[in-house]
Amino acid sequence: MTRDMQTDETGPELPGGAIAPLRRVVFVLNEQGLHARPAAKLAQEAQKYASEIKIVCNGATVDAKSILDVLTLAAGNGTSLELAAAGPDAAEALDSLARLFKQRFQV
Amino acid sequence: MASVVLKGIPVSAGISIGKAFFLSRSHIHKLPRQTLADELILAETARLEAAFKQTKDELTAIRGKLPPELREHALIMDSHLMILSDPKLAGAAKNHVLQLRINAEWALEKAVAEIDAAFNALEDPYFKERMQDVRNVAKRVLGHLAGQQQDMKAIQGRVVLLAHDLTPADTALIEVDKIMSFATVLGGKTSHSGILARSLGIPAVVGVTGLEERIEDGKLVVVDGLKGRVIIDPDEDDLAHYSDMKYQFEGYQSAIIRSCHLPGETIDGYRVVVNANIELFEEVSSVIDNGGEGIGLYRTEFSYMNRTQLPDEDELTEEYFDLASIMAPKKVVIRTLDMGADKFMTHFGTLEESNPAMGLRAIRFCMSHRDLFKTQLRAILRASVVGNVSIMFPMISGLREIRQATNMLRQAKEELKKQGLRFDPDMPVGCMVELPSAVMIAEILAQEVDFFSIGTNDLIQYSLGIDRANRYVSYLYQPLHPAIVRSIKHVVDSAHQAGIEVSLCGEMASDPYCVPILMGMQIDAISLNPQAIPGIKRIVRQATMADCKDLLKQVLESRTVSRTNRLVRDNIFQRFPDELMFYSSLLETDEG
Repeated sequence: MTRDMQTDETGPELPGGAIAPLRRVVFVLNEQGLHARPAAKLAQEAQKYASEIKIVCNGATVDAKSILDVLTLAAGNGTSLELAAAGPDAAEALDSLARLFKQRFQV
Repeated sequence: MASVVLKGIPVSAGISIGKAFFLSRSHIHKLPRQTLADELILAETARLEAAFKQTKDELTAIRGKLPPELREHALIMDSHLMILSDPKLAGAAKNHVLQLRINAEWALEKAVAEIDAAFNALEDPYFKERMQDVRNVAKRVLGHLAGQQQDMKAIQGRVVLLAHDLTPADTALIEVDKIMSFATVLGGKTSHSGILARSLGIPAVVGVTGLEERIEDGKLVVVDGLKGRVIIDPDEDDLAHYSDMKYQFEGYQSAIIRSCHLPGETIDGYRVVVNANIELFEEVSSVIDNGGEGIGLYRTEFSYMNRTQLPDEDELTEEYFDLASIMAPKKVVIRTLDMGADKFMTHFGTLEESNPAMGLRAIRFCMSHRDLFKTQLRAILRASVVGNVSIMFPMISGLREIRQATNMLRQAKEELKKQGLRFDPDMPVGCMVELPSAVMIAEILAQEVDFFSIGTNDLIQYSLGIDRANRYVSYLYQPLHPAIVRSIKHVVDSAHQAGIEVSLCGEMASDPYCVPILMGMQIDAISLNPQAIPGIKRIVRQATMADCKDLLKQVLESRTVSRTNRLVRDNIFQRFPDELMFYSSLLETDEG
């Protein structure tokens, strides 16, 4: 089960709770932007990791594991996003998500 | 008690009389907001989780049962499953129960309202519309919470199924031994539920306003899928009329099925080949069962849609090869990719075109993606070693395009020859005539190809300048507008002068009111959806060329659509009374 940062009551505690997240900037390269299918792929991939993964875009911060959150970014082609991951597998999570963006979600 | 007659759109022919069973109403009655005592909270989260679990099982089961015609709906089901398990829906609803101590229904509605607020703030209509998916999913969960599992499993005996709307998921669960027909409030001519009803062979009417208000479970209803009517509480006269109608229609249907394997030939010996339009390999069986004399239009888009990787040459070759060999020695006309307008490939995404119907589609799209086009041409050529394969190019507007396309085909042949791969060097090459420009220069185009195929759906739209899906102007969609009749006549004559064959695909070919006019022009073949073939063959076999020519002459003299429609209706009335009784024509529904 995934957790939400603001209402994180039920999930397990993050170790220490205050580890600085790893960050990476990515670009939306696919022509149609983060439409339903790319958003689904992104959320599905993010859900494979234990780390908390956020996407920052134009001042909004959303949960990468939520397809609904990702859709509300309405990120079109050419948008730059920042991925922020905190947790035990944060580095791998960032690598795999960045690869998805690079491959235009065509995997 | 007086009967009530509700009008709708007929999407699958036939009559059924039976007891009503309401599957789903648009509004599930909500429970009032309740504040829960401490000891009830855990039980409430468990109830919520159980409803999510039931919804998940339900969606997964439905997804597995989708018939091949509705394969693309599987992708919709996948996204619904993702939404269902989304932290913003499932997680948030649970949190609301825990923190606000409210009942599950309210918690869920609150989560939906929060998502709605986020989506509402968006400007892009595409993203805004995703909210509809969220609502659909939430509605299912609410249904489970309410314990109203308006499940088709609960149906006893055979019923007439009524619903606000039938989703792809619902229709996939229809069992013919329980459901004798259905009617829905939503839906239009092209709804997927209609496609399914036709393939199951049960009557169906959609777009019936007032259905929910008027009907209760167990009431006697008549569904008239011929004229698009739902009759509630039929009186004795209604029942006598409809049972008689049902009896006659079923007799008519078995008669046309019995004779559908005979060739399309008039009483006076004039031949009109009746072919089928298909888009899936699986439809071949229905072509054969319904007496299709060949495949006049194989739409090739399906193999390219809903996937991220393009199909490779071997995959396409195998697909075309299988089709050609199973149909052999009957003809198979393969139309090259007609992408764009309303069909898109995941691989390329959608272009930002303000007017896609006039944009980069069909042959234009292929010319700007030459590798993809070449791959398809090579595959069609390689498949042409078996059976009787022809190739056809869509949306040709002038000489340049047809020459570009035939040049590409020549290059593909040279490449194959060099590689030592076999193909039929004389495979016939045709073009679609579906743009007014192509009509005007038909005699020029006829010098370049081996056959024409007139695509009337597009030709009507482009000639009359109307988008038939636009309800404000759809009344102008007039297949027998004098301009359309003259256009078709001109194309047929130009083809025959050049000594090439001409066929017609499009809805006109499956309209019993229009077919005699096309026959009067001495069209060589018509191509239509497989289910309509038996009825149209009967028209062909009961007509005489002399009568058809006479009708055509009168139609050509007519200056207005209303006069033409009257002529055509009179003709049906006099010569084909069964069709008058059992068919609603393109012409009729447009005026009604």
